[in-house]
Amino acid sequence: MLHPEFTLHDLLANCVERDPGKVAVVDGTAERTYEDLERASKALGAALVESGVKKGDRVGVYMEKSWEAIVAMLATSRIGAAYVNINPLFKPPQVAYVAQDCDVRVMIGDSAKLDDLEPGAVSGTAYYRGDRPGEETAGRLEDLAGVLRDGDAPEAQRRVSEVDLATILYTSGSTGMPKGVATSQRNVVVGAQIVSTYLENTPRDRILSALPLNFDAGMSQFTTALRVGATLVLQRSRLPGDLLRALRRHEITGVTGVPPLWALLLRSAKGIEAEPLEHLRYIANTGGRIPQANLDELRRLLDPSGTKIYLMYGLTEAFRSTYLPPEEVDRGSTCIGKAIPNTEILVINKEGRECAPDEPGELVHRGPTVAMGYWGNEEATRQAYRPNPLASPELLDVERVVYSGDTVRRDEEGFLYFIGREDAMIKSQGYRLSPEEVENLLIGSGLVHEACAFGVEDPAVGQLVMAVVSLRDGGDKVAVETIREHVIKNGPPYMVPKQIVVLDELPKTGSGKIDRKGISNVYANG
Amino acid sequence: MAVSTENVAAEIQGWLRENVTGGREVSPDEPLIENGVLTSLQTVELVTFLEERFDIIVEDEEFDEENFGSVEAIAGLVASKTA
Repeated sequence: MLHPEFTLHDLLANCVERDPGKVAVVDGTAERTYEDLERASKALGAALVESGVKKGDRVGVYMEKSWEAIVAMLATSRIGAAYVNINPLFKPPQVAYVAQDCDVRVMIGDSAKLDDLEPGAVSGTAYYRGDRPGEETAGRLEDLAGVLRDGDAPEAQRRVSEVDLATILYTSGSTGMPKGVATSQRNVVVGAQIVSTYLENTPRDRILSALPLNFDAGMSQFTTALRVGATLVLQRSRLPGDLLRALRRHEITGVTGVPPLWALLLRSAKGIEAEPLEHLRYIANTGGRIPQANLDELRRLLDPSGTKIYLMYGLTEAFRSTYLPPEEVDRGSTCIGKAIPNTEILVINKEGRECAPDEPGELVHRGPTVAMGYWGNEEATRQAYRPNPLASPELLDVERVVYSGDTVRRDEEGFLYFIGREDAMIKSQGYRLSPEEVENLLIGSGLVHEACAFGVEDPAVGQLVMAVVSLRDGGDKVAVETIREHVIKNGPPYMVPKQIVVLDELPKTGSGKIDRKGISNVYANG
Repeated sequence: MAVSTENVAAEIQGWLRENVTGGREVSPDEPLIENGVLTSLQTVELVTFLEERFDIIVEDEEFDEENFGSVEAIAGLVASKTA
């Protein structure tokens, strides 16, 4: 009998029930079955309990996309704890921020990455993958491979329900440092049900995992594959030659990517033209608009194989929000389609009322993927997760909806079109960044007096990160190289400004604040 | 213009120091793609740099982990094209 789908590990239990020998994960040359996944996640779960992980505790996962990272998510889920997938591109300062923000005590990570962290960054146990890292890395060290190989301790039976915290997804907004979106088991499971429904996933699918697992849309390939019992092929290299080879060698049926990924795939246009990707059933875009020219080229190349193109839009705060069905792709790349199943999208104007057709308003998401809020940040939570403005006042249990900050319009036929954002959030390479994160990184060099970061539209990556700075006393032009070096060393690549411009003083607004809008307008217009 | 693998490797290491690692030296055999040292977009920038610097063209099918997985692999590819 199949399990009702309440938790992430219920989905696994169903896969094991249906077809235990089915390949669940392909990692390089290794193929792991659903049975392997169950055994390994039980072993790691038991070890985590022994390490003192209690229900609701946060377990950090800081590693390259791998079989072990997949096991870590399921092991954590089984014991009612929450996994926190940390972007492997993060440098020690960002990891320290996340670990502190949500109090990560146990970390599962790649040895080299753990070794780079400041001593004390992991207060409890670190499960390392690779050679044993230095003793000062964590309170206790455990060899992950050993646990997965030999661990056969009986699993502690813990009651886990759909209202438990499943994971925290870190993302940025328009201000401040990244926020952790507290996501419940129900959010994760319903998200997997919804996405696998509209992508029409089946056990026959072989899904390429090309996005990072810390990103909601990247985690989604794993959860949708798990929901239907498909095979997930982990892809670390996104270089054109490797992408094309993986699509062919693994007979991939579905790929989800962000716009820069399609640009890389299009470099192999000739190869695809000569030999269409006959197994590829669909591609799905998220994390920003595909340049229309690239979308047209993808359609031309994928038409012979009958590959469908889905354009999607999602907010980490509500996992996924809209998609444009493949047969509507003629509407162009600014169209984000309609609400995903089991979900309602409202377009709300400044007066808090629903917009008329084609009237611009804020996209507001209502449905079961609305997350639990931002971890430990009440003010930001109240700002984004507000009571449903259209609910009957007689309903006393206030339903929360997510205000996206994105301006959209809905046409007469009900299709939504993305217009833009009014705040300063930067969207680069599919990542959300707040200017303050970049500015803090620049100021952290010790050479910068004032900094202003902003995004400049760029067809290839969405927005390019730019920065204007004034230097502290005694700074000279040579300082720019040193500042750049500091930023590269201490931040992920997508946070590094394409250009750092030095001014004697930064332009201010009437109230004496740095005039971000004025500065960015100067550069936006070339 | 034929160039030696050593010279190319030194140039690549210089580029990585300046654009990717923030001053840290990358050893010739350190895995770049598998360990996430180099993102795909950074690799695209590196290819642009190499194509201009050495007047070569990297074909799309050569643009993979086998050829870009380490400094010595990249240097080998470039040197073979300038030979």
